[in-house]
Amino acid sequence: MKSYGWAGKILRVDLTQGKTYVIPTWDHVPKFIGGRGLGAKICWDEVPPEVGAFDPENRLVFATGPLQGTLAPTSGRFMVMGKAPQTAPMESYCRSGVGGHWGPELKWAGYDAIIIQGRSPKPVYLWINDGAVELLDATRLWGLDTYQTQQRIWEIHGRNARVMTIGPAGEKKSRIAIILSDTGDASGQGGFGGVMGSKNLKAIVLRGTGHVQVARPKQLMEVVQYVNKLFTRKSANGDPFTPEEPGFKYNIWGGGYGRGSLGEAPGELLDLMNDPSSGYSRVLDGCFACPVICRAHVKGPDIVNGVAFCAQAYMYMESTVYDYEKGYSKVTWQAAKMADLFGINAYDVMAIIPWLDDCYRDDILTEDDTGLPLDEIGSQRFIYELLRRMAHREGFGNLLAEGGQRAAMKIGGEAQKRMEMYYTRAGRFGGYREHWGYLGGFPTGHALSYLALLWAVDNRDVFSSHNLMSQLWGAAFTIGQDARTAIPEDLTPILKPVMKYAYGSERAAEFITEDGKGLNWDWAARVVKRHQERTLLKDSYTVCDIPFPFIFNANTKDHVGDTSIESKLYSAVTGIDMSEEDSYKRGDMLSTLERAIACRDGRTRDDDVLFEKYYTNLDAAGRKYNREDLERAKDEFYQLCGWDAATGIPTRNKLEKVDLKEVADDLQNRGILAK
Amino acid sequence: MAPRKTTNDGQNPSEKDRTNHLLSDPITRRTFLRNGTTGFLSFLSAVAIADLLDFITFPDGTEIVLAKAAVLADKSVCSGCRTCEAVCSNFNSEGRNAAALARVILDKEYVRGDYQPRVCFQCLDPVCLRACPVTALQVDKQSGTYARVIDERVCIGCQKCLKACDQVFVLPRPRFDADENITIKCHLCFGDPQCVKYCPTGALRLERSEKGLRIGYPIVEGV
Repeated sequence: MKSYGWAGKILRVDLTQGKTYVIPTWDHVPKFIGGRGLGAKICWDEVPPEVGAFDPENRLVFATGPLQGTLAPTSGRFMVMGKAPQTAPMESYCRSGVGGHWGPELKWAGYDAIIIQGRSPKPVYLWINDGAVELLDATRLWGLDTYQTQQRIWEIHGRNARVMTIGPAGEKKSRIAIILSDTGDASGQGGFGGVMGSKNLKAIVLRGTGHVQVARPKQLMEVVQYVNKLFTRKSANGDPFTPEEPGFKYNIWGGGYGRGSLGEAPGELLDLMNDPSSGYSRVLDGCFACPVICRAHVKGPDIVNGVAFCAQAYMYMESTVYDYEKGYSKVTWQAAKMADLFGINAYDVMAIIPWLDDCYRDDILTEDDTGLPLDEIGSQRFIYELLRRMAHREGFGNLLAEGGQRAAMKIGGEAQKRMEMYYTRAGRFGGYREHWGYLGGFPTGHALSYLALLWAVDNRDVFSSHNLMSQLWGAAFTIGQDARTAIPEDLTPILKPVMKYAYGSERAAEFITEDGKGLNWDWAARVVKRHQERTLLKDSYTVCDIPFPFIFNANTKDHVGDTSIESKLYSAVTGIDMSEEDSYKRGDMLSTLERAIACRDGRTRDDDVLFEKYYTNLDAAGRKYNREDLERAKDEFYQLCGWDAATGIPTRNKLEKVDLKEVADDLQNRGILAK
Repeated sequence: MAPRKTTNDGQNPSEKDRTNHLLSDPITRRTFLRNGTTGFLSFLSAVAIADLLDFITFPDGTEIVLAKAAVLADKSVCSGCRTCEAVCSNFNSEGRNAAALARVILDKEYVRGDYQPRVCFQCLDPVCLRACPVTALQVDKQSGTYARVIDERVCIGCQKCLKACDQVFVLPRPRFDADENITIKCHLCFGDPQCVKYCPTGALRLERSEKGLRIGYPIVEGV
C-alpha cells in the first residue's frame, strides 16, 4: 500500500538499553490522526499515573501529523507530549506545540514520531540521518547553552541538520526547562526540557532527504492558494513589513508579516533596527510553509540574534520601567534571549519576575532571603543573576527552577497568595501562567465567560488558543480599537454573523447581559466545546493555532471565516475524505481521550476551578466572574461532552460511543469510571 | 535503478516503446516536449527561426538562444519559509513533497538570519546544458520561455549538469532524484513558475524579456 501523508513509521528509542525500534504508525492512524492525538494515544498506552515526570519510564513523544513536510500552510508545527513536570502540584499529561523547521525534517527523515523512554547512563544525543539512527556521545555537549550546542552539532553533521536541544536548565531537571530548535522555536509549556535532561539526552538531530507523498497534489495546491490569499498580500517593493495592497487588513493578532509583537514595542531596539546605518536589523522569518509569518529575525552586533515572538517582547517588560527613557531596549531583548540560551521557559519567567517584585515590595521576600538584587528589578544585573541561578539551581534559583507556582507553594503564606495573581487555575492541575484569562490580559482586561470556562477545563494554559483571541482582536482592529483595550460590547455587532457561522448562534457574540452588569454565560459551554474540538484537530493534523481555525476574516463584509480549511487540507494530503462535520466527531473523541488521561492522573471536576482572585477582582468594566455561573457552565459543558457532570469524568457510554472501549475498561479497573 | 543505455546519437534505444508511450498518454509533464525540441538539431533550428532573439556563439561555433524568462529573488523580503521548495516538489514531482526534490533551494543560515533563495538563472551560457552527454538538457521552445530544461525521457542520471553548475554557483541548481534516477532542474513550470505564485512575501518574481535575458553565468557567478 502506498502511504499518503504519514511516513508510516514511529521510532522508539530505549535509552536505558541504548536500542532503537521501529513500530508502524498504522496501529494508531488514521484514527488518532497524528500530532497531539497520536501522542495522547501513546501516552495513554504507556504512561500510567504511577510514573513520575522525571522517571525513566516516562515517555517523551515528538509527534508530527499527516500534513508535516508538505506544502500545507503552517505545516512546520509538531507536538511534544508526555507527563509534564510543570503541571502543579500534581504532575500530569500535557502537550506543547513547536513551530519552525524541525517537524518537516522528521517526516523527510522517514518517521512520523519519536518516542523516547528510559534513561541513558551517560549524556547522549540522537542522530537520525534519513532513517538511520545512532545514539552518540554528548559528554562534550553537556553544559553548553542551546546556541552553542547547535553550532557544535552543525560543525559535525552539517548546517542542514535540524536540532532540538536543551540548555543547562534542562540538564538540571528544571520544571520550566524548554527544548529549543534553531533560534527560538521551542517546546516551552509543560517543562519537557527537564524530562529530556532526566533521560540524559542532550539533543535530537535530524537530517532528511526523503519525501512525503501527497495523494491529491493539485487539490492541495488549490486549497493552499486559497489560504495564502486570506493571509498575505505581496509586498514586492519597499518596506517588507508593510503590505503592498492598500486596505488589506491582517486578521491575526500582531499582524503577521514579521511585525510580531516586537513591532509594537517602541524603544531603543526598534529605533536601532529602523536605522540602516546602525548595524541592527530585522528580517521576516517564517516557519515552514507559513503564509502568516508572525515573527521577525532580529540581529545586531552586540545582541544575540534570533527570532522575536511575544515571549521576547514581553518577558522583561520591567526593564522598560526601570529605564523608561530607552523603552524596549537591548536589555529587554537580551533578557529573553538569555532565557533561550539557558533553556528556561520565558513564559514562566514572565510570571516569576512580577511575583518576586510583589513579594519584595510587601516585605515577604528580602534580598537577603533570596540573594537576588531585588531592588534592581528591571536591570541587566538582576535578570542575569536570576536566570543564572535558575539555570544552575544555585541558592534561591533552586526553588525557582521548580516553576513559579511550585516555588510559591513551597514558601507558602502570603507569597503563595501573591502567586495566585499570575497563575489562573487552582486545584491540583495548575502550574501554568495566566494567559488570556481576561480579554486584554489580567487584571485590567474584560472578563469573558468562555475564557474562564476554557481556563477551567483545559489541561494547560489556553495559550494555544490564538484563534479564539484572534476573532476578538481582529474585530477590535477592524473597528479601530487597540487589541489590548478592546471593549467587548463594541465587538458584539461585528461578531454576530461570525459567531453564528462558527458556533451556531448570533447570541454567542453577546458577551454581556442586557443590563450591562453581568456576563452572558448562555453560550460559554457550546463555544468552548466546539473550540476544544477544533483545537484538538488542528494540533493533530498538525497546523498552527495562529491562523487556524480561521474564524474571523477582516477583509470581507460580513467577516465570516472558513472553518473547513483544515479538513480540506487533510483530505487532499491523505486522500481520505473527511468532511468538516466528521472531523468534529474525531475532535470530540480526542478531547475525551485527553480528559480520560487527566482523570486517570487524578483530575476531577474539583480541579477545574480558578483561583479566588478571579471571583473577587473586578475587571476593567466593573464586572467579575461568578463562581455559580462558572459551575453552571461546567455542568453544561460536561453534558455536551458526554462526561459525568458530578465528577467531570467521561462515562463508559460516551467512551464506547467514540470507540475508546479499552480506555473505559482501564478506567473501570482503576475504579475511576463514573457509574 | 541502473542508468538507461544510450546509443551514440544520444537517443533512447527503445524508440518504438517511447513512441507508443507518447501516443497512448495524454499530454503530461513528461511528454510536453513531444512537439518541441527533442534534440540538439531541432534546438538549432529554433535559433534560426527566432531571429529576433539574441543568442550567444561559443568558440566552437554552436549557438545558444537566450532565455526569455527567469525567476529572480529579492533576499531582503525573503522570510525563509520554504514554501517555494514545497510547492515546487509538489507540482513537479507528482506530489512527492520534499525540500530535496525542489528545483529552487532555500539556503538558510538560521543564527545569522540570512535567508537566500538559490534560483536557477537560466544562464546566458548554460554550463549544465553544455555538460550533458546525451543532450537531455535542451532549450524549451514550446512554452516560449526558452528555459534550459531536462528532457526526463532522455536523462540518464549521470549528474554531469549538476557538477558543472556546482563549479560556478554556491549550490548546484539541478537536483538528483534518486527514486527515478534522473536529474531534475527548474523549467519555469511551462512559463508559470509556481514558486513565484505561492511565495507569501513576493520575494520571488518572474523576470521576462522578449529580447532574451543576459543573466546567470558568465555574468553572475558564485551566488
